[in-house]
Amino acid sequence: MASLIACPHCGPRPKEEFTVRGDAGITRPAPDAREDAWYAYVYLRDNPRGRHKEHWHHTSGCRRWLIVERDTVTHAVYAVTDAAAQGETA
Amino acid sequence: MVDFALVHRPALAGAKSGSFGAPATGNRITLAALPEGHVLQVLGSKGSAGLEDLIRQIADGNQTAARAYGPGQWFVVGDATLSPTEIAGKAALLSGKASIAEQSHGRIRIGMSGGSVEAVLAKGTAVDLDRAKFPVGRSAMTLIGHISALITRTGDESFEVMVLRGFAESLWDELIQMSLEFGVDARATV
Amino acid sequence: MSSFRLSKGGRLDRTKPLDFTFDGKPMQGLAGDTLASALLANGRQLVGRSFKYHRPRGILTAGAAEPNALVTIGEGGRTEANTRATLVELYSGLTARSQNRWPSVDFDLGAVNSLLSPFLGAGFYYKTFMWPAAFWEKVYEPIIRKAAGLGRATYEPDPDSYEKCWAHCDLLVIGAGPAGLAAALTAGRAGARVILADEGFEPGGSLLSETAVVGDKSAGDLLAQTLAELTSLPNVRIFSRTTVFGWYDGNVFGAVESVQKNTATVDPNRPVERIWRIAAKHAILASGAEERPLVFGGNDIPGVMMAGAMRSYLNRQAIAPGKETVIFTNDESGYRTAADLEAAGLEVAAIVDARASGASSWSGRAPVFPGAMVQDAKGGKALTSVTILKGGAPVTINADALAMSGGWSPIIHLACHRGARPVWSDAKAAFLAPETLDGLTIAGSAAGVGSLEACLADGAGKATSALQALGLSNTSAAFAPATDTTIVSKPLWYVRGAKGKAFVDYQNDVHLKDLGLAVSEGYGHVELAKRYTTNGMATDQGKLSNINAIGILAEARKVSPADVGTTTFRPFYTPLSFGALTGASKGKHFQPVRKSPLHDWAKKNGAVFVETGLWYRSSWFPKAGETTWRESVDREVLNVRKNAGICDVSTLGKIEIFGKDAAEFLNRIYCNAFLKLPVGKARYGLMLREDGMIYDDGTTSRLDESHFFMTTTTAYAAGVMNHLEFCAQALWPDLDVQFASSTDQWAQIAVAGPKSRMILQTLVDEDISDAAFPFLGAKEVSLCGGTLTGRLFRISFSGELAYELAVPAGYGEAIADAIMEAGKPHGICPYGVEALGVMRIEKGHVTHSEINGTVIPSDLGFAKMVSATKPDFIGKAMLAREGMVADDRLSLVGVKPLDPATTFKTGSHILSDGATPSLENDQGYVSSSCYSPNLGSTIGLALVKHGPKRHGEHVTVWNDLKNEYTKAVLCSPVFFDPENGKLHG
Repeated sequence: MASLIACPHCGPRPKEEFTVRGDAGITRPAPDAREDAWYAYVYLRDNPRGRHKEHWHHTSGCRRWLIVERDTVTHAVYAVTDAAAQGETA
Repeated sequence: MVDFALVHRPALAGAKSGSFGAPATGNRITLAALPEGHVLQVLGSKGSAGLEDLIRQIADGNQTAARAYGPGQWFVVGDATLSPTEIAGKAALLSGKASIAEQSHGRIRIGMSGGSVEAVLAKGTAVDLDRAKFPVGRSAMTLIGHISALITRTGDESFEVMVLRGFAESLWDELIQMSLEFGVDARATV
Repeated sequence: MSSFRLSKGGRLDRTKPLDFTFDGKPMQGLAGDTLASALLANGRQLVGRSFKYHRPRGILTAGAAEPNALVTIGEGGRTEANTRATLVELYSGLTARSQNRWPSVDFDLGAVNSLLSPFLGAGFYYKTFMWPAAFWEKVYEPIIRKAAGLGRATYEPDPDSYEKCWAHCDLLVIGAGPAGLAAALTAGRAGARVILADEGFEPGGSLLSETAVVGDKSAGDLLAQTLAELTSLPNVRIFSRTTVFGWYDGNVFGAVESVQKNTATVDPNRPVERIWRIAAKHAILASGAEERPLVFGGNDIPGVMMAGAMRSYLNRQAIAPGKETVIFTNDESGYRTAADLEAAGLEVAAIVDARASGASSWSGRAPVFPGAMVQDAKGGKALTSVTILKGGAPVTINADALAMSGGWSPIIHLACHRGARPVWSDAKAAFLAPETLDGLTIAGSAAGVGSLEACLADGAGKATSALQALGLSNTSAAFAPATDTTIVSKPLWYVRGAKGKAFVDYQNDVHLKDLGLAVSEGYGHVELAKRYTTNGMATDQGKLSNINAIGILAEARKVSPADVGTTTFRPFYTPLSFGALTGASKGKHFQPVRKSPLHDWAKKNGAVFVETGLWYRSSWFPKAGETTWRESVDREVLNVRKNAGICDVSTLGKIEIFGKDAAEFLNRIYCNAFLKLPVGKARYGLMLREDGMIYDDGTTSRLDESHFFMTTTTAYAAGVMNHLEFCAQALWPDLDVQFASSTDQWAQIAVAGPKSRMILQTLVDEDISDAAFPFLGAKEVSLCGGTLTGRLFRISFSGELAYELAVPAGYGEAIADAIMEAGKPHGICPYGVEALGVMRIEKGHVTHSEINGTVIPSDLGFAKMVSATKPDFIGKAMLAREGMVADDRLSLVGVKPLDPATTFKTGSHILSDGATPSLENDQGYVSSSCYSPNLGSTIGLALVKHGPKRHGEHVTVWNDLKNEYTKAVLCSPVFFDPENGKLHG
């Protein structure tokens, strides 16, 4: 029926304005990384119970890619940050 | 060279005009197609900061002409049409700091006013448009129903809604539908 | 007026009679009635038949929990089944029908089921109708479905409109009873933005039927004054007739407002129902408490009613329940009903108090039987007597009404919608909501508070705390603290030794013995017992029955109700209409339409449109005399190849790319090189997914050193934009690159055919000769003597000499008209996407029919496009995998029938000549096919094992759906002008 994601740029918005991509905890390997690193990056995903970081795109808003940290059980949202600022805030 | 008149076709040329909905309420809505003047999408370069002053310089001076909708992203709008040379001049002013994507034909502005205008828009958007939280000049890119649009408060009881040209007629119809309970006067031609 | 309506009292407008019908019989009620109270006023106690046994059933409650009085309201497309008569606001012209009866509610043949009841106990579905299996679908199910059930949905379309709406507030107060009103008043005075929502047509909750005095005010005066003040506050909104049905993530509450369900004359300008999504910083749940039925024999006979409901009908709608009323209570509240009945001059025959001590303060006329039980109620379609057990021999007394009160259960459903579980409290003898909920506080009797003063104080106090947490410190409670003096009784889950059926769940006909059976057969777990007995299912979801069922299970299992626990509470609290859930999204408002700037140009040229996502694209342009689409398409194809054609390609995705790192960015996005693309040039690009498969293709032009213009396919425009933004923001935030979608800014027109240059040169001011503007040229051009600036690209999907001209969208139609005019002497014609498709297949150009998520560049003959020198691009690493370089990958090839008179369809499989169809023999499949008027035959593109090495091989094209085997030959995918002579013409 409804849920709100607090976009750091636009404020709270309903989930319909967003596109979810999935796990934001994975890092794109270096171009010359071994095949198993690439295999893991492209195909392997954890399905954690509890806290999870995901990439969400504010498609119908500011069009920024965000990192939403939420609880997969309770749907509590702990933090929403801009994906480009990930290095700066971590 | 062929000889012909270069006729501009407004995006809402085929949209319906007239009075619809409740016959007389104190809160009637007015919907109006606004002039297809200029819409410039301004995109800040990486690392540029403090662009607001520059953006105001390329705008036409109207209080609600420059509309921020995300980090480093603005729309600068106005009723006057701008020639490619004029736009190039503005781009030169921003050179290195921001780029301009010309959207004067790609985005359509619809004016909405009336005592119940917030109640009508609340049928489409989850953005809290309460006057205290969303004052004159504030903009928000959001979904109105199924259609993405930029909402800007232009007055105590007036908003501008800017939408992709291809969706303009659909959004126009939606806004009329949403306004029926208050009564709506819709003017699709400028 | 009937004798059931008292001559005075109630919150009724006796000057406003309202005519309605029940089962076709005309009746009259008053403004202020619900359908239930109006039926009672008309002496109509029997209103329905029970689900399984078809037992006569009457009105049991006065609220949302009503399990019996489910009726069908309205006619035709406005028919609404399973409506609770207790919540329906009476209006003039209302038509109501009883349900689950044939031929009538008074004489119901289905009642024979009662005689079969030994066979219809819990789990009877699983036991009785096991075999023969063939009977299950054809015999058993239709019979059961006909006999059991609720109302029937209409097949006619709903003529009314619905909508959805957002609302925002600091404090949402759910329920406008004493606690809710106190909370709203406290918050309203503090200046908070308040929404007060209540399901009734009149706010007030229990105050509407309360005869007590608060301080120096009657309950009615207190209500009137509080509402007057709330209404005067601009920061308070009161939503009446609005049920808050769910609590969702982000503290959003779902509510449904009945806007026009209280009238027979619907105003088409307004919705009949409206869904609210209320974003609240905090909410107070003041939903009240539900009175518990008592489980004794015949507790479902019409005339048996909840004590609170009887009191509500008496005080609010001046309804006399009967001439001789018996009260059966395990709680103080039964006495309040007795007192109000006597005050109204009605006779209370007995007060049967299950508690040994009885009430200490009863001063009324009725005799009290402390420590007694009503063991059985007697009667058929109406109550006639009750049997009272007090120590020795049972006593039977006459009664035509029986009020029962087993204590109260806080209504905490909403508090448990987000995963929290109710907590059993021995002190309150009830399940309570957990105390630590984020964003929601429970107040009043929903929190287990008993007395009226204590509820007012609780609501005000909890609002104060909530507002202080929100930073509104200038808050003072609207009501002073009060001590709750209510005595909580030990629960009475059921009466032992009942002779008749003692119902636990009225709506599902679950009785005491069913639950015992569930435990003895191993289904004692609360979730299993629900499924096994159906207790707590259907429209009321056990609002009345669950608590007693849990108590009964607990006793049978010899554990505490805390150990049994509850079933899971999920939205919606009460049933919601599909119309409300659909909202405005139906008919032409189902989804938006996206129109090309050349839509009306195409329309006036006779286009037949096809939906492509939300777009409407021109499919073909039939001419007078053409009778089939193929005729039109063949003509368009031949004319483009011979003369010229014009096609709307505005729907292709268009993206402006800016920034000093734009070239580097594109170089990483495409598998082929873009870093050194010269200004003024377009290049075909292949974009891969990270797994190496092709994602999308299109041309990208360099308009300036740091300004590129990308085109994508129509279908992937939005996806590509998201992808670019992901790569720029999440993968390589160090690059200076920005994007703007300019799809809607440009009307883009393809002009193709040997005469295209001649035609376009008449509009374009610059020289566009082959020397000045060769293949893959891309530049800004001046048009029509400098009146307009556009962008011209020399690119070709048709394989002809061709251009794409982009002009500002508002001038698209004028320019398309001008091109048509200029092309007239050259035989130009408009063509649609069908002709475009034929020409691209003739040239072996791929689309998403081939780029289907399983192909890599080399599969389509693009191996050389994949840069070997770039250090990185999306998809590079995974292209090196073993399976990506295997030589039997399905690869692009052409296919055509040996006999041009035969044909095949897209999707057909390729078999080696003479091979029988099998997975092992499958060689690949046809990905695209069409009739080529240039070759005079069906042609196709196919993905086939070792495809490029098999040109000339005879194969069988097999279509199992049509049992079609077509002899064919594999060939080059380029069927037409393989030397590209025309392209460079």
